[in-house]
Amino acid sequence: MHAVEIDGLTYTYPGAAQPTLKDISLQIEQGDFLAVVGNNGCGKSTLCKVLNGLIPHFITGTFEGKVTVGGLDTLESEVAELARKVGYVYQDFENQIVRPTVLDDASYSCLNYAFPDYMERGKTALRQCGLEGRENEYVWQLSGGQTHLLALAGAVSLQPDILILDEPIAQLDPMHADRIYEVLRDLNENHGKTILVIEHHTEYIADYCKHVMLMKDGRVRWMLPTGEALQRVEELEGCNIFPPQVTQAAYALRKRGSLPADAPLPTTVEKGLKAFGSLRYIPGPAASAPERGGETAVSFQDVTLSYRSVKGEPRTVFQGLDLDIRKGERVALIGSNGAGKSTLMKLMVGLLRPNAGTVSLFGEAIGEKRAEDLSRQISLVYQNPEEMFIKDSIRGDIAYAMEVRGIPDWQERTDALLSRFRLTGLQDRDGRLLSGGQMRRASLAIGIALDPGVLLLDEPTANLDIATRREIMAVLSDMKDIIQTAVIATHDMQLVCQWAERIVVLCGGKVVADGPRDTVFSHREVTRLVGIRPPEIFTMAQALDQRALCYTVEEFLDRFQEG
Amino acid sequence: MEKLTKKLSENILDKFSMDFLRSQVLKNAYGNDDTVIAALDPRVLLAWYLFFGLVPWFVNDIPFLLGCFLLVMVTTLLARVAGLVLFLFALGVFTQTGYLFLVTLLFGGDASAIAPLLVLTLKVATISLASVTVFSGLDPDKLSNGLMWYGCPERLSFSISYAYRMLPMLMEEFQNVLLSYRLRGNPPAHETLGGKVKYLIYQVKIVMQSFYPLMLNTAKRSRTTVEALELRGYRYAAVNKSVKKLKLASLKITCNDGIFLAVSLLVVAVALLISTLL
Repeated sequence: MHAVEIDGLTYTYPGAAQPTLKDISLQIEQGDFLAVVGNNGCGKSTLCKVLNGLIPHFITGTFEGKVTVGGLDTLESEVAELARKVGYVYQDFENQIVRPTVLDDASYSCLNYAFPDYMERGKTALRQCGLEGRENEYVWQLSGGQTHLLALAGAVSLQPDILILDEPIAQLDPMHADRIYEVLRDLNENHGKTILVIEHHTEYIADYCKHVMLMKDGRVRWMLPTGEALQRVEELEGCNIFPPQVTQAAYALRKRGSLPADAPLPTTVEKGLKAFGSLRYIPGPAASAPERGGETAVSFQDVTLSYRSVKGEPRTVFQGLDLDIRKGERVALIGSNGAGKSTLMKLMVGLLRPNAGTVSLFGEAIGEKRAEDLSRQISLVYQNPEEMFIKDSIRGDIAYAMEVRGIPDWQERTDALLSRFRLTGLQDRDGRLLSGGQMRRASLAIGIALDPGVLLLDEPTANLDIATRREIMAVLSDMKDIIQTAVIATHDMQLVCQWAERIVVLCGGKVVADGPRDTVFSHREVTRLVGIRPPEIFTMAQALDQRALCYTVEEFLDRFQEG
Repeated sequence: MEKLTKKLSENILDKFSMDFLRSQVLKNAYGNDDTVIAALDPRVLLAWYLFFGLVPWFVNDIPFLLGCFLLVMVTTLLARVAGLVLFLFALGVFTQTGYLFLVTLLFGGDASAIAPLLVLTLKVATISLASVTVFSGLDPDKLSNGLMWYGCPERLSFSISYAYRMLPMLMEEFQNVLLSYRLRGNPPAHETLGGKVKYLIYQVKIVMQSFYPLMLNTAKRSRTTVEALELRGYRYAAVNKSVKKLKLASLKITCNDGIFLAVSLLVVAVALLISTLL
């Protein structure tokens, strides 16, 4: 029996002119691990909501065709009945958690469906999701990765046959992302669950998924075994899906004639090792170390900070932290979830005061600055752009800081910023209603409106699909000329490698590594200890030749030639 | 003197930071689940509250009120109520009765006004402290289970525990919105007295304006929550009797509940005895 059977499904959202899903027919086998890929807005999430019955029972609209999930016709079954067949984890999973403690939340669904052994079921689910021993913790004590596992446990607790996850690792560091996928693999292989993920990270698809389904414009283009699917480089790129870097490199090499045209493209580093065996590394010019020196922009001197906690001892985030950021530097702050990256930024804008030590900005302690001076010198773009929208249009938001300061030509400057960030056509819309990429662009425009000396960006590429991420990366490199000093906190190593001059690695409240990318990434101990992972292409190059330090596919192609 | 003015001029937002507020709310809700009061059965505590929340209104006997007051003071201490709540309590009691005394003095009254005012103060204080004991000594889940046992609709009890789940998130969001204003806004200079007043007005205005983005952001978040609740069987449970039974199965009356009630009864009895003897 198939886990899912869809026959001639067409669905239109209420009030929409065009159907979101068009004539979809497909079968998903029991025990499959399927990745659903496609452009933003191609109907991936809508399709998933059809499977758990939210469409058409909770979200109405025009529904045609027949959908059978685990033998149940979704039109004739209730959401409650389907919920026991299909578990769903949202992209914004933290909003799906409704109870204060871990065990409470994990067993909540079972309680609601009146299972007398709901506690046991919750515990089992927590065990399956690797959260054993945290039963009595409060949900706000969990890290991002753990919160995601809890959302998963909530879905697993009903022991559904099918699990659907919408972009499970968008907000997670590589270590936590691996955790999630290991848990999913275990559920798939040892507990017989059918798993569907909406995923942009093709490296993970290559490592974990069995099949890939490509959607475009509300239709299913194809569904193929992973190895085969990732070969279709051009077609995938046409839909803004970027195959693993190893595959991209192999594809380019094949075009160049360095690889045979009939051999399959490698999709993982292991396969790459075989396929690229004939290539030889040609050392390039040694990277010149960037000059250190110049005026200090931000300085941390012996900073200690601890948080009040609900119970017990306060939690120490930093202990005797020293760090200088000089004028003109482009710094990337990296470290796992909870290493203190955001906290460091909050200290820089004076939102948090250190318990001991001083944080100074351009030689003056932050605590003594007037708010007005501060905002000219430093600006913070939040991880969550919604929180930056305080007016009812993005034009108003961008203009706000300039307007209240009476900057002479603020109208013109606002126009200039709007056009620079390609937002002119959207200027009267509320920021919250924009797409992910547009919201980011708007938040960047707000952040640089006052020409701050230092720009802080918290996770500028989190939660974005690869295409939008590329776009934001282009905007960031485009901004290099107007922003002197910038600090980015991120998990996105491709961004780090392409953009940053200096990388600061935080771990356990300390700076454990600091320097240009070559120093940081070739330092094996540090990368292992902190759980940061260089881009796949870097690992590939290292596997081929220890001396090779390649950060982008282009660099790889330059450095590796036919032997 | 200079130090004092500096201290005074630190703005309200700094002193009364959202961070502080957030930790106090959490502390109040969940930080004291290991106290004697928290271990009691919520049904017993609610019944107890019914007595100490109502009876003092109708009694004017000072020894009795004093006895009740002492008792609820002890229970408040046992519940380890957060500092902020106690501060609000003190403020509340003063605004209820303290100003009456001042007004009495202003209009030519004398110290004889103290006695009747004391009775009123005692009543208000007793009732407030009893509420504080029950509502902050119990964690929201126990409280809502207790209410449900007494027949309150399931939706009310869910709302209570959900509100507590949401509060920390809301406050964090609020804090970030406020920070947006602080980083981008242009507050009036506040070196002079006039400037300080303007500054205060400005801050109050900012706090008010922050509600608009806060509400919209919350609305956006709750879209997922509403769908998730549907999937997780919230509506299904609301009409299902056996779910209620399951939830209430965890309530148990123990020895401690007996002792707690006995001690309360004893105190009340002794207070009554004293008042008849006097």
